[in-house]
Formats: sequence, C-alpha cells, structure tokens
Amino acid sequence: MALSHPHKLGLTVLALVLGTAGLMAYKVRALGYRLADILPVRQYEVTYALDLDGHGGDVRVRSFLPSSDAHQTISEERDQTSGLHLSQSMEGPNRVATWSGADVPNGARIRHAFKVLPRRVSYDLPAGLEVPSAYPPSAAAWLRPEKEIQVDAPEIRATLQRIGGDQGGVVERLRRIHALAASLQPRPFKGTTDALTALRLGESSCNGKSRLFVALARAAGIPARLVGGLILEPGAKRTSHQWVEAWVAGHWVPFCPTNGHFAELPERYLTLYVGDEALFRHTADVNFDYRFETHGALVPSPQAKATFTLFDVWGLFDRLRLPFALLRTVLMLPVGALLVVLFRNVVGMPTFGTFLPALLAASAGETGAGYGVLAVLLVVAAVAAVRWGLTRLELLHSPTLAILLAAVVLTLLTTSMVAERAGIAALTRVTMFPIAVLAICAERFYLSLTEHGARAAGKELAGTLAVMLACHAVMSSLALQVLVIGFPEVLLLVVAANVYLGRWVGMRLSEYRRFRGLLGGEA
Amino acid sequence: MSALSRAAARLRGALVRRAEVYGINRRNLALVYPNNDRRHYPLADDKLLAKERFQAAGVPAPETLAVCEGLYAVPGVVEALRGRSQFVVKPANGAGGGGILVVGGWDAEAGCWRKAGGEPLSPRTLGRHLADVVFGVHSNQLEDRAFVERRVEPHPLFAGLWGDGLCDLRVVTLRTSPVMAMIRVPTAESGGRANLHQGGLGIAVDLATGRTFRALHRGRPVERHPESGAPLLGLELPAWPAVLDVARRAAAAVPLGYLGVDVVVDREVRPLVLEINARPGLEIQNVNGRGLGPALAAATEGRAA
Repeated sequence: MALSHPHKLGLTVLALVLGTAGLMAYKVRALGYRLADILPVRQYEVTYALDLDGHGGDVRVRSFLPSSDAHQTISEERDQTSGLHLSQSMEGPNRVATWSGADVPNGARIRHAFKVLPRRVSYDLPAGLEVPSAYPPSAAAWLRPEKEIQVDAPEIRATLQRIGGDQGGVVERLRRIHALAASLQPRPFKGTTDALTALRLGESSCNGKSRLFVALARAAGIPARLVGGLILEPGAKRTSHQWVEAWVAGHWVPFCPTNGHFAELPERYLTLYVGDEALFRHTADVNFDYRFETHGALVPSPQAKATFTLFDVWGLFDRLRLPFALLRTVLMLPVGALLVVLFRNVVGMPTFGTFLPALLAASAGETGAGYGVLAVLLVVAAVAAVRWGLTRLELLHSPTLAILLAAVVLTLLTTSMVAERAGIAALTRVTMFPIAVLAICAERFYLSLTEHGARAAGKELAGTLAVMLACHAVMSSLALQVLVIGFPEVLLLVVAANVYLGRWVGMRLSEYRRFRGLLGGEA
Repeated sequence: MSALSRAAARLRGALVRRAEVYGINRRNLALVYPNNDRRHYPLADDKLLAKERFQAAGVPAPETLAVCEGLYAVPGVVEALRGRSQFVVKPANGAGGGGILVVGGWDAEAGCWRKAGGEPLSPRTLGRHLADVVFGVHSNQLEDRAFVERRVEPHPLFAGLWGDGLCDLRVVTLRTSPVMAMIRVPTAESGGRANLHQGGLGIAVDLATGRTFRALHRGRPVERHPESGAPLLGLELPAWPAVLDVARRAAAAVPLGYLGVDVVVDREVRPLVLEINARPGLEIQNVNGRGLGPALAAATEGRAA
C-alpha cells in the first residue's frame, strides 16, 4: 500500500524521534550514562604569584601544593619560575614545595599554577558513635597539645565542661564544639590567634576559631587538626583560609566553624595542607610578597568524559590530538543551522545564506561574540567602500570578488595593527577570526548589495548579526555540547525538526506584518 | 461589544483569512515546487530561451533585432544597428533591470544614437556596453548573452501612468489559468523601477472585466497617482481578453506550471509578452487586497469547467 505524502513525513519524523529516544534510553539504562553529567562543572586555575626582593644571597621559599583527593582534582600543574629551583617532598600528608636559589636578585618571581576541579563533600555522621578509648597511632598523634592549641589549659577544660562537650557521643560533642567556635565574633584579623586567646577575647578570624575547635575536640578525646587552604573565587587575593578536620569512625571529616559548615566541605574550598603550619616560610633578609590569582571557567564534567563511551568521539579527538573546541564546534553546527532555519522560515528574518550565521557563531566561539560582530562589521565596511570605488570601473564579477578579498584581508590586518599601536589588546584579536568565513560573508554582502540594493543588504546584515548572536548563545552552551557529544543521536532530532520545517507552510512572523492589511478586520 | 471580544473577533477573522493568504513557505511548497521543475528554471530566467519558446508557440513578443552571443559578435551587432532607431539592449540573464539600455533615435549627422534622456550614445559606447553584458557584468555569472529588441511604444493608457518607460501587466498563472493580475508602475520615487518595495505603484486588475479596482503605494491604498495625480481606479484596460489569452499561451509555451507573465500592450493595442518569472512574488496579494487562496481555487475550477 502506498503511503500518502503527509504519512511519509509523519513516519519519518516519528522514526527519528523514536530512534533518538531509544538510543538515549539504552545508554542511560544499559550503559550507565547519566543525563546529569552533561552539566558542566567549574574548574579554577590558581597561580601562586610570589615576588621577592633578594639581596644577591641564597634564598629559600617553602610552601604547600595541593593533592588530588575525593574533594578536589588537581591537574595541569606547572611551574613557571625562573632563576629558582623547585624541589618537592612529602611531609606526612602534605606536599611541600621548596624554591631555592643562590644569588637571587631583586625582583625574582615565583609562578606556580595548577587547575583544580573541586567537588562539595559532605558526611552523614551516625548519631550513636561513642568516643573510642584508643586510636591508631596516626590519629592519636592529633590528640596532643601544640604551642597554639592549648589542649590542657584549665580554661579550655572548663569551657568544654560548660558546653557539655565532654559528655555523650562523638557527633554530639562535635556539634557543641562547632557551635561554640562558630559563635565567636568574626574579626578580620590577618595574624595568628591561638586557641586560648580566641576563647578569652570571644572573637577571632578563621584560624583562631579553628584552633579553638581543635583544642576543644582534642580535649574531648577526638583527634582533630587544622586544615589550610584557599576559598576559590576569581580574582587576586592574599587571604588564605583555615578550617578543621576531626577523626570520626576512621575518616577525617571536615568542619568550618568560621562559615558554619558541619561535616561538609563546600565546593569552593581548596585544601593545601593539614596541621598547624605556615603557608609560606622563607629565608630572612628578603622582601617577600605573595598573592593567589584565580580564574574560574566552566568545563565538561569529567564523569561525562569517563562514562560516555559508546560512540566515543571525545576519546577519538584526544587520540588524534585535535582540540576539544573543534569537536564541539563541529557537533554544534547542525544545531546552529537549525536555528538559522527557524529564523529564516518561521520568523522571516533574512540572512546571508543558511550556514553563514552558524559558521560565524562557530568562529566566534573562540574569540567571543563581540569580536564576531566587530569582524563582520569591518568586513562589510570594507566591502561597501570597495564597491563604491569599483562601480564606475564596471569590472567582471570574479575579479571584483578577488579585490574584495584583498580589501578584507588588508582591513583586518590594519585594524590589528592600529589596535596594537593604540594598546587595545582585545581588538587585535579580530585577525584571529577565520578568514574563510569572513570571505564568504564579504561575497554574500556584495551580492546582496548589487542585486537587492543597500536597504535589503542592510536588512540581511542586521538579520545575519542577530541570528549569529542567537546561534552563539545556543552553540556555546557547554551543557548542550556535552549532550551532543554523549548522545550524538540528538542530531537526529535536529534532522526531524528540519523535516517538519521543510514541509511547514505556515506564515512567517514577518509576513503577518507584511500582509496585515489582508488579515485585519473582524470575523 | 467589549474591547476584549472585539479583539477576539479580530483574531478569529485574522485566523480565517490567514488560510487564504500565501506566505513564502506555502508558495514554495504548494505552488513552486510541485509545478516548476528546477531544471526548467532557465526557460524563465533566460529571456532569450523564453523568447525562443514564445516564437515557436506563436506567442507575440517584442521583435528581436539582434543577438550578441560573445565578444566576437559585438562589432557585427553594432554595425547592424547603425542607422536604426528605437531599440533596447538587454542581458539575457539580467537581474533587477541591470544592464538594460534604452536607445532612441539615430542622429546621422553626429553618427551616434540618442539615449532616452537625449544624451548621445556613440557606437563605441554601445559596443562596450554589449561587451560588458556578454562578460556577465550585469548577470553575476561568468558570461551571458546580450540581445537587442525593438523598443515597445506603450498604449496611451499605460504611457499615461508612466511616461519615461514601460509599465507592465503581471498576470500570475497556475497551469496556464490566470489567477490574479496587476499593473506595476514605476514612479520618480522608485527611480524608474517597477519594484513595489522601492516606491513603485501596484494597481489591481479584475480578471473578469479588465478594470482596475484598487491601487497600492507604499503599502497604502491610493486612488490617484501619488506624483501625477492621474486617477487609477476604474480604468478599462485595452484588449483585456487578448492580454489574458497571450498570458495563457505564454504559460503553455514552457513546462512551468506556476508563473508570473509580464505583458505590455503597445500603441497598436497588441499585447506582447516581455518575460516570465518562475517565482512570482506575493505582493500581488496586497495590491489585490486578498489572498491567493480563493483566486487559485477559482482559477483551477474555471479550468475544470
């Protein structure tokens, strides 16, 4: 039996949609894909920027570097220091870095950078845990008093009694100690505060609160230690942060009395070391200054990369050493083209061709949408100027276009050169824009200008830029990119949408305006 | 009646009338694709190919005086035209009226022609224009053909609407049946082009009677010519049955089912087909004040009857 045309279309769309749904369901059910993994995560790049004015003698600077654990993944670590030698060693759980050099001059710079992918970690503490009578040696070491953690001071003992921290189970004791340490007035004091001083003053910054927590916990018979690190936020800062860990049922469980986190470590905490340590130590006689520079960026979730394995284009690109940016651009192009189709056939917005806005958006993925708009406007200005100059010569089509290309290239280079002279670093990047795409743009604009006039060409230009921005917004969505990488069958949905739109006879939005005279009046 | 229910009634009305109006998507899917095979487009796009078909089918068209197939033919064509008056040079594949040169009388003393505006046109300049055309300067392609037509002297009714050139009748046909018609009149504002978007004037013609009944300028209905003040409505077009007849025959001469046939009526009241368009525009709906839907239905019914 022959199928009628609408049925053929309906079946095609249905088959594509069902095929996509089936493949996606199979991956989630049988292969363990998780849809939530398409959501990007925030990765931070942290740089230690240490500056020292030496006097020409030997210099040593000692600090801590982070390790990967359940809470944080450290990658792409690199040292860009010159003139000083970096040596690393493990001291207990801490990674110690020592930069040393002889005859270190004024203005020496240590630059050490790494990327960190942090995760929030929280613990469910069972309520009925009793305080153990003995601990393994590694944990028991964290019960002893230290210089600034006065476990045995009478005031500490008395306070523990007063709050009932010496009674009940582990969790109950920690809750009371946490509440007390958290109740201290906050104080933006940068120096060191010992546990006793913090208790006496009733106010402290993070390190005093944390020391008081540790002192009380140890006094209550629970091993506890200071943790030092950073709170990750974009920008440059000198402030580090301290919180604590307590030994509960064989795990070091994090607490932050300063910011009120109980048995949890927020995502943006970067752990650098444990113990009552100084973050930086250096030889005397040098001027030492430091800051931490942090940049945040969304990156695909590592779980997605690890588990999306059926049609593993991601792994393929890694093996071929092709950039991830290329992969996502390629996979997003059909999505961008669908968007252009929607704008052209449903909205009625004219553009330079079907692919060009999507191609422009893809090209702008690297430089940013603003540069894309700027590059297009520069090209269009060059084309308009050259056309104005060439019309009286009445040249043939192809040579005219070749002249346009020369003008486009010269315009971009001139812009970069002027921008460099003027010190506008950002503007120099227009030259990075793919010239092939701009050349097509120039040709399209020229054709439109000659065939339909300046008004129509201007409309197409405005439409192209608007659709390009829309494409850029959609195509640069990291979640959508990872979705298509993990579930390439989503592109079948794009095909289905195009099949439907390919037979859609509805009026374009712009035509409601164009034919408003025919539509007006009451029924 | 409350404002809300009035708005609802307007919306219902718009939705009903929407079914009658053809947008570009619907025109392409319902009219152009099923009726016009892409490989036959050149018969409409190339004016010379169309004219060959017209000649074979006996469809009246302006007389072709010369065809210039390439650079080698330019001197011969210029020589053949020496001494002749009143002709038009056109590119076979021109777009938007580009490359059309209207030539008036031959000035034997000066050895040159006079252009429509009276400026001299030397044989050398004419040769260069022909060369440009065959090189595709006006066609956005690598090469083209130029042809020379006798200049049509329009019927006084049309000359009265626009004195400086031709205004043509556009008859939209579906499988050779006329569907809708309008006159496209250039204005000084539109720069002598009949393009309705650039300020040209559209005048709707009743298919049954050949009378003008509506005129549109810049999207607004008008009763008089915005520049000359000449009345535009109720004009009775000359030789109307003959106009429809040549439109039908022109449409039948090519294997394209949905067409815009451009017809002029000359001083001797003869309808002549100027060219055909395989993707006729939709503005004719605004000019006629109604959608193509009912008109298409009526046209196909009329044919079946």
